[in-house]
Amino acid sequence: MNRIAIALWNPIVAKEYRSRMRTWRSPLAMTIYILLLGGLGWAIFSSTASAARNSFNGGQAANYGQALFLWLVLFQMVLLAFITPALTAGAVSSERERQTIDLLFVTKLPAFSILWGKLLASMSFVILLLLLSVPIFSLVFLFGGIELDQVLNAFLVTAVAALTLGIIGLACSTAFKRTLPATVSAYGAAFILLAGSLLFGVLFPTDIDPHATKAPAPPAITYLSPILPLVVIGTNGPINGYGVRNGGIYPMAQGGGMTCSSGPNGVQSCSNILVAPGKGMSLYNPPQPSGTTIPSGLFSGWQYWQATVTMQLVISLVALILSAVLLPPIRHLPWRRRAPVKVQQ
Amino acid sequence: MITIDGLTKIYGNRTALDHVSFEVPKGEIFGFVGPNGAGKTTTLRILAALLEPTSGRAFVDGADVTEHPDKVHERLGYMPDFFGVYDQLTASEYLDFYAACYRQPKARRKKVADDLLELVGLTDRRDQAVDTLSRGLKQRLCLARALVHDPAVLLLDEPASGLDPRARVEMREILKELQTMGKTIVISSHILPELTELCTMIGIIDQGRMRATGPVQDVIRQLTSGRRLRIAVLGQKEEAAALLKALPVIQEVVMVNGAIEAQYDGDDAAAAGILQALTAAGIKVSAFSQLEGGLEDAFMKATSEDV
Repeated sequence: MNRIAIALWNPIVAKEYRSRMRTWRSPLAMTIYILLLGGLGWAIFSSTASAARNSFNGGQAANYGQALFLWLVLFQMVLLAFITPALTAGAVSSERERQTIDLLFVTKLPAFSILWGKLLASMSFVILLLLLSVPIFSLVFLFGGIELDQVLNAFLVTAVAALTLGIIGLACSTAFKRTLPATVSAYGAAFILLAGSLLFGVLFPTDIDPHATKAPAPPAITYLSPILPLVVIGTNGPINGYGVRNGGIYPMAQGGGMTCSSGPNGVQSCSNILVAPGKGMSLYNPPQPSGTTIPSGLFSGWQYWQATVTMQLVISLVALILSAVLLPPIRHLPWRRRAPVKVQQ
Repeated sequence: MITIDGLTKIYGNRTALDHVSFEVPKGEIFGFVGPNGAGKTTTLRILAALLEPTSGRAFVDGADVTEHPDKVHERLGYMPDFFGVYDQLTASEYLDFYAACYRQPKARRKKVADDLLELVGLTDRRDQAVDTLSRGLKQRLCLARALVHDPAVLLLDEPASGLDPRARVEMREILKELQTMGKTIVISSHILPELTELCTMIGIIDQGRMRATGPVQDVIRQLTSGRRLRIAVLGQKEEAAALLKALPVIQEVVMVNGAIEAQYDGDDAAAAGILQALTAAGIKVSAFSQLEGGLEDAFMKATSEDV
């Protein structure tokens, strides 16, 4: 085996596979996972099938397919957000707790190999779960409305998000000596990644620039959440009404408001009158986002899933490096070189 | 083979090791003794490159434990005082896993595991789950684990603690076998009589400071003012005791369980002279032997006062 093969495949992976697959927990976890995902798929499939029985046409079927796909990918992401931290948050701390970590440290395995082995073993189980879900996702193609590249992109986003959560869990497991605080912090980090970043977009949305030529986009930090790209992939359309606000341009408070007019058939239509600061009153309609690309900001022109995958991989890399620095019993850090301590006799 | 020079370890404001220095030549069995909290485990963990010293240096077969822990790990096998085992692994899989961690070729690992299981007497347990083994068997398995890469040096931290007498004897036999294989062994233990029999060198540590180190008999001689004899006589105990007290080499005479224990200052020739004096006085000596408690006396003396 060459060096890369040795680095990628180490005995910890085989040992973890043996330990994991010889217990009843793994088959049980897989069964519950499939039952939950399949149950949701069946429920949506049943409801849409009964609705389709009355009035069915091709356009509606495509909508049903999209809805089913969107629910499945979001539910799968939430399930994995619960499963992945549990797989990795105890990976190192449990070795400490059962006093086996020293026996690993005195072998020829470098600290990074220990981490990599633990991660690979845990992520293999996640990949197994993703593969198990493929037949359920194939239901979507009965309805149509979803392209293969959407499915592949959704699986990529889900897998990378699970990898990120796994590496964060591993970092928590390395940083904390006990499994309980490591698990709590890993779930906390998972919540922040999935929901906290979305909440950020609600609390601190992007202000609309009245002079912008491009449609506003949610703050870049919100792309950390895999939910956003999954919604974009699932709906195959832009994000509307999230993460942007009329910053400083409040129609009612600052002289704006609504303008309404009656049409020839008596139907009244209204639109916002936005006032650009210092510009006096003028009618302003900001550009609306279209397509699945990010319209403006740091990742302007990127697909949402590309931004999410990139940001999560960066976080994963940082967390992995941090873990590799924290794990060894003797750390050779350049800034920790110190003169021998003089001890009073 | 092992050199420790001015090793100091400070935890917060507590000094666990205070300028500890000693050497263990190749092929020796070094007994490392001291009361609980004396610094034995700290020293062994530093030697195993699992703990960074505050100051001082330690070398295993020429490799600095702080600068080159990877080289140190190649050359030593470490058995901690407390350790766990993995669930769902058999004894042979357990050894195979650690052999793989030491980058042993796959083709060789099975033979290594079989040989080591035979060495520690666990061949018939090769397919038993390691978490179901008794403590004594786990200790033996852990010793086998420390040997999977055929290290030149073994660090054994309390390998016989918690073992029943039979398991202790078996562990001692295994260590003697390893000695004949040319391993350099550092063994910390509280069971002093066993160390006297097993070790060629000894180091006594107390409160983080080395109190004495060297060949076993030298340390005993250095720390105790005399050797002890156990003498059994047929009747005439009072006469024998009086005669012994009158001899110039005798320092102390006490009666223990119907026998006489006499402490004397001298070598084997002096002991022969004592026996000759007793028989010349017509005292019927039924047993005459050196007591093995010398190390215990030395240990007590070394750890009860500043040396």
